[in-house]
Amino acid sequence: MPYTTQIQDKARELLAGDQVSCVIGYEVGSRGRTRPAFIYDPDDVERLVWNQNCTHNLTTYLQDKLRPDRGQSEEEPRRVAVVVKPCDSRAINVMLAENHFAREQVHVIGVACDGILEGAGFGKATEGVLQARCERCSERTPVVYDTLIGEAPEVETSDEAAFADLADLEAMTPSERAEFWLSQFDRCIRCYACRQVCPMCSCPTCLFERDDSLWVGMRIELNEKRTFHLGRAYHLAGRCVGCDECERVCPMDIPISLLNRKLAKEIEVQFAYRAGEEPVPSPIITILSGEEG
Amino acid sequence: MTSLNGSNGMAPYLGKLVVVKDMAPEIKLFGVELLNGGNARFADYKPGQFAFVSAFGAGEAPFGIASSPQRGEVLEFAVQRLGSVTTELHEMGEGDTVGVRGPLGNHFPMDAFKGKDLVVLGGGIGGAPLRPVLQTVLDNRADYGHLTILWAARHPSLLIFRDEYESWRSAPDTELHLTVDEPDAGWEHDVGLSTTLLEKVAPSPKDAIAITCGPPVMIYYADKTFQALGFTPEQSYVTLEARMHCGIGKCGRCNLGDKLICMDGPVFSMAEVGNLMESFL
Amino acid sequence: MKVVSRDGLAAWLDSLAQQKTLVAPRDVDGVLLYRPVASSAEIVWDYTRPVLSIKEAFFPATERLLVIEKNQQRVELQETLPEGEQVIVGVRPCDARGVKALDTLFIETEPVDTYYARRRANTTLVGLACKEMGETCFCTSVGGAPDDPRDVDVMLAEVEGGYAVQAVTEKGEALLAGLALQDVPGEPPKPVLNEPVPLPETEAWPPHFDDQFWEDMAERCLSCRICAYVCPTCRCFDVRDEALPAHNGHNRYERIRCWDSCTGEVYRRIAGGHNPRADKGQRLRNRFFCKFYYYPQQVGSAACTGCGRCIDSCPVNIDITEVMHHLAEVSR
Repeated sequence: MPYTTQIQDKARELLAGDQVSCVIGYEVGSRGRTRPAFIYDPDDVERLVWNQNCTHNLTTYLQDKLRPDRGQSEEEPRRVAVVVKPCDSRAINVMLAENHFAREQVHVIGVACDGILEGAGFGKATEGVLQARCERCSERTPVVYDTLIGEAPEVETSDEAAFADLADLEAMTPSERAEFWLSQFDRCIRCYACRQVCPMCSCPTCLFERDDSLWVGMRIELNEKRTFHLGRAYHLAGRCVGCDECERVCPMDIPISLLNRKLAKEIEVQFAYRAGEEPVPSPIITILSGEEG
Repeated sequence: MTSLNGSNGMAPYLGKLVVVKDMAPEIKLFGVELLNGGNARFADYKPGQFAFVSAFGAGEAPFGIASSPQRGEVLEFAVQRLGSVTTELHEMGEGDTVGVRGPLGNHFPMDAFKGKDLVVLGGGIGGAPLRPVLQTVLDNRADYGHLTILWAARHPSLLIFRDEYESWRSAPDTELHLTVDEPDAGWEHDVGLSTTLLEKVAPSPKDAIAITCGPPVMIYYADKTFQALGFTPEQSYVTLEARMHCGIGKCGRCNLGDKLICMDGPVFSMAEVGNLMESFL
Repeated sequence: MKVVSRDGLAAWLDSLAQQKTLVAPRDVDGVLLYRPVASSAEIVWDYTRPVLSIKEAFFPATERLLVIEKNQQRVELQETLPEGEQVIVGVRPCDARGVKALDTLFIETEPVDTYYARRRANTTLVGLACKEMGETCFCTSVGGAPDDPRDVDVMLAEVEGGYAVQAVTEKGEALLAGLALQDVPGEPPKPVLNEPVPLPETEAWPPHFDDQFWEDMAERCLSCRICAYVCPTCRCFDVRDEALPAHNGHNRYERIRCWDSCTGEVYRRIAGGHNPRADKGQRLRNRFFCKFYYYPQQVGSAACTGCGRCIDSCPVNIDITEVMHHLAEVSR
């Protein structure tokens, strides 16, 4: 049965049975572009699709949907369903580890993904050409799910292949690397799309966008942009799951994911840890438990 | 070189702080003496207008002008410490230099209010832009009818302009009512919401004008109460707050629907507010 | 028509680049942007439109308004006005229309914005007609056209062997002095047009202010600022003082203004924390209403030029033409 039908059937079942208040999935929008969809009524599930343009990491909408401080009465914690690819599913584990919501609040519809097309989401998909992250992908089955759609194909990827494109970066001298990154950040317009699309970036007030310019100023200039990008990369180290949405959404084609993956590699080498494989916090985060002073 | 001839809408006049007075916890009264020709620009500002006050180094923010030009050239502002600009202002003392840009916005139609009874309701720091209305009425007492002042705050210590209440109370044909949410020992006046006080005082809407300023939620409920008392929307005036960055209609931020608070306001009659597409709530 | 050869145009632009700042579409690490060029060889001629509009040239992303020097209680202010003439080449009519819309606010509505007006006076626009409309373009639906010369000083249109040159304003004529042009019979080819998009009447918008449509569409909105920043007419800005290196023991600051966007969550939050646009639906509705209703009401000109950038760049397919179709549908 096609994935689309399976997802629609599951959505209908969950909504009709009142198991979730909303199913976050994909639909085809204007100009044939695939986009996020929020389905509340079992009669609307026919809007849901699965295709190779399903690029968005829908878990980025979970915290807003499930956060209890939205001024609504909370006799029962909210519950939603979300359609995820393997990369997206890792984000759920990171959010669970960071206590953003309880596992029972999400019905995860995991899709064993064949890969997403380059240009997806902007109506520029090139048939047969997969996104770079998909070429790097080593696990085609979601790491957490309540419903699994499809069976993943066997994938042979060595760890070397997964980070091969970092080789160019690592071959640069420190000053070449600085020049490279500064020339990339120079195009940044501080639109914050990278931050907004990221499921892991959810601070109520972003450190880099304070009214009082405490940590970084307001200027849309290189000094500030460098601080923003490097700072954000450090805040994501050990938490970024490599969905690469940050890079896709950037209107200036800044290779943001390359920066995140470089730090992810450092974490993996030093701590043998990859974000999101289990719902446990990253080893580089210090946790103050209740007993400690 | 400086450009203080008023041709650059974003360049402030310099002013010296001649008064820095604690009015309440986190609320100070600042008196500014304008320098470099600013006095000419501010010779004739009207109650309800506002100005951007610069705490150089932090930035500038809009404040209702809390004084009347009839009382002298010193511009007064009541400032509650809430953010980076107000914190910087609160660090300043007499003799320090600030910037002032204005006068901006529209104003209360004091001429149209002549001969009418006025009911002035001020909640917390919202009382500040209403003080020039009170001063204008008190300084031109014969021009206006009965004056009912309802002044509210969360706590007695947060009431502003406390040292002026006697002069308000003792003015002819004027009554002053106070209320707080939470009294302290020794509080002799009302306890409860400003709307409760308003219902109790129950001013007559006949030939009267209501003027309200306070937090958005308070303005909303005060309006309901005035309506219940028989005030028409045309009889009720408010001054609204918005986040602003230019105050001269360029930065786009302060709109409520198609109205700009800085240019079409901040003073509105409830008839206008009721027709605003977008709610201020 | 008057025509210049490609080489003739290149030579003329090279000499212009010596006298003034020449801004043109240039490849910046694979991204097409209007940027200063040192020679005509850097200019890209075959494109739909650069990723950003030319509004940057008049309303930069970061602009210094004042320099403030503080010495104890003494403060000195220095107004910092932009200097230097610039010529922008390759301006698409939709971008020029965007500048005209901003002129209505910054120059034609009191008080005049000193900084914008100065840049505007110092700039000459050389437009480039589009041979065809891009996939997401809809300039013809909002009163424009791919070969509309109204808002530029000189209009270029690609023809056989070179470019047809049309002086539109006196400023344009002055710029063209010294450029040898050939009289050639004929006209530039008419651009290939798209299907039009229905433009709702201005008055059609208010009755639909409270429609559920806005909240539904905004659910997927990321509350980033891409649409506002790539837009030729969006102009919201923030103003703040920021520190400069101290000088002679005096503290120095610059008062700057920077781009901002009404789509941001805290955009409209007031002191004390109240936020009348806390919901995404309220914010997105504000953006579209501002474009099609508020801006026309406040300053008298429409604020969408049909350039299609927001459609191209929105990561979640929030499509302004979908909004226009919907409004036209529900107001029938």
